[in-house]
Amino acid sequence: MADIFVNKAPKELAVIPFYATAAVFFLLLSLLLCFSARELTGHYFNPHILAIVHTAALGWGTMIIFGAAYQLLPVICEQELFSTRLAFLSYLLLTAGSIGLIVCFWIFDTGWAMIVSGSAVVLSSYLYAFNIYKTANDTNRSQIHQNFLLISAFWLCFTTTVGLLLTINLSYNFIPRNHLDILKLHAHAGIAGWFLQLICGVGAKLIPMFLLGKSKRNWLLHTALILQNLGLIAFLADGYFNPMHVRMYFYALLVFLGTLCWLLYIIDAYRHRARKKADTLMRHTLISLVAQGLAFGVIPIMLSNHQTKWTALYGTLIFLGWITGIILGKTFKTLPFIVWNKRYKNLNGTAKIPMPKHLYNENLIQYQYYAYIGTIVLTCLGIVVDHRLTIQTAAILWIVIALVYGYNVFRIVFHKTTIDYGNKAE
Amino acid sequence: MEIKLNNPYAQEELKAQVALMQVIDPELNVNIVDLGLVYGVDFSTEGQIIVRMTLSTPHCPMGDAIEQGVLNVLRQTFPDRTPSIQLVWEPEWNFNMISEAGKEQLNLL
Repeated sequence: MADIFVNKAPKELAVIPFYATAAVFFLLLSLLLCFSARELTGHYFNPHILAIVHTAALGWGTMIIFGAAYQLLPVICEQELFSTRLAFLSYLLLTAGSIGLIVCFWIFDTGWAMIVSGSAVVLSSYLYAFNIYKTANDTNRSQIHQNFLLISAFWLCFTTTVGLLLTINLSYNFIPRNHLDILKLHAHAGIAGWFLQLICGVGAKLIPMFLLGKSKRNWLLHTALILQNLGLIAFLADGYFNPMHVRMYFYALLVFLGTLCWLLYIIDAYRHRARKKADTLMRHTLISLVAQGLAFGVIPIMLSNHQTKWTALYGTLIFLGWITGIILGKTFKTLPFIVWNKRYKNLNGTAKIPMPKHLYNENLIQYQYYAYIGTIVLTCLGIVVDHRLTIQTAAILWIVIALVYGYNVFRIVFHKTTIDYGNKAE
Repeated sequence: MEIKLNNPYAQEELKAQVALMQVIDPELNVNIVDLGLVYGVDFSTEGQIIVRMTLSTPHCPMGDAIEQGVLNVLRQTFPDRTPSIQLVWEPEWNFNMISEAGKEQLNLL
């Protein structure tokens, strides 16, 4: 029986490059924010804003999610990752594609370089989806978390494909609809299909695990998955053929209700938890969920008020609030374990060895947490009152957070085995 | 892990329990005996030790690190015996299996 779970942890190559590269992209994101602070509240179809959004969505969010998914799926499926090579290839393509797209958007070069970069991202997303599908497909057990991961992978492929078509459309106009309308569909397939459903699936597994909590209300997760997809499909279908309409509220409401079901599941697990005190990393997740709720709250304002700052606020709450919040917390709940497993697994019990939480500086996590709350509040405030200096100050604080986060990530990645046999350390 | 003093292997079991307390669950940072993961240690087969244990969750990513720790400490403590692990899911592990000391370390009290 013991061999059922042995060696199911994926190889480092399928995980660590993603975390390390994402930390660099996070720093790049904060630098770009700093350079473009005065443009942040303007129209989103602006070269610098497009570059910033793609840095956040691809280089930061998607990069780290790929790594986390390759690490967690074998655990969820009790099955080894189908292919480490494909995982690494997806990393190379995503990194090259993201850099290419960011540069092309920044200088607004809509030629072949942008199309080739977009193609690399599309190929990377297909490789990811194939790897996820083959890993999940090999197991006899079907869990709701797996379904979230698989469906979100589909939406990722959809999003990147539409994105590629949009980049081609910039050079060779062939899409019979308004480019900006399709851009909205592309963005929301990514937000509500890829990020939301992935985070819901992984969160439903990890949050109860970290809290030592349990919920038996799995039906809430099934309902969440159905409502989120119904709302998104209806939005995409209606949005392709018709301009933005009051019906969009209804589709957003469906997605919101789905997310609410997921949240009720998490609350139920939280109520039935053994670990009463939430640590700083779990509090990061809480702030992230508040940002997600606020983003939903901004949707009606955004639909009824055409000031571009509301779209900027919505995007900020999504990428810097919700996605960044959950990543800042969850990184140190996942990355140290894979590094520790590699360095210390075979030494467990033989000598005094550090635990995964000793691989990074815990004190810095406290500073990171408070700095993150202050900075996201300041960023949102700066956008709402449209105050350039406030946004600029917040952007500088994002750089500080990215440096603190990056320091801890690289401290883990480059950790060297230290063994204490009593009197001397090796 | 319950040790009956009238068991002919009670002394070995006690020694094994102390050894197994050196194995720490890397996620929870508490030893596996206080977590209640060890259900029993069987010395009745000559030259062998069979540890009957569970994990906090069937998807525990640290599962093989814990198993390796168990084998390491038992090999060190009983060099003349070969340890092996029988991983079981019945009874299913729950928070009530954590000892008072374990609960204190986890801030569950």
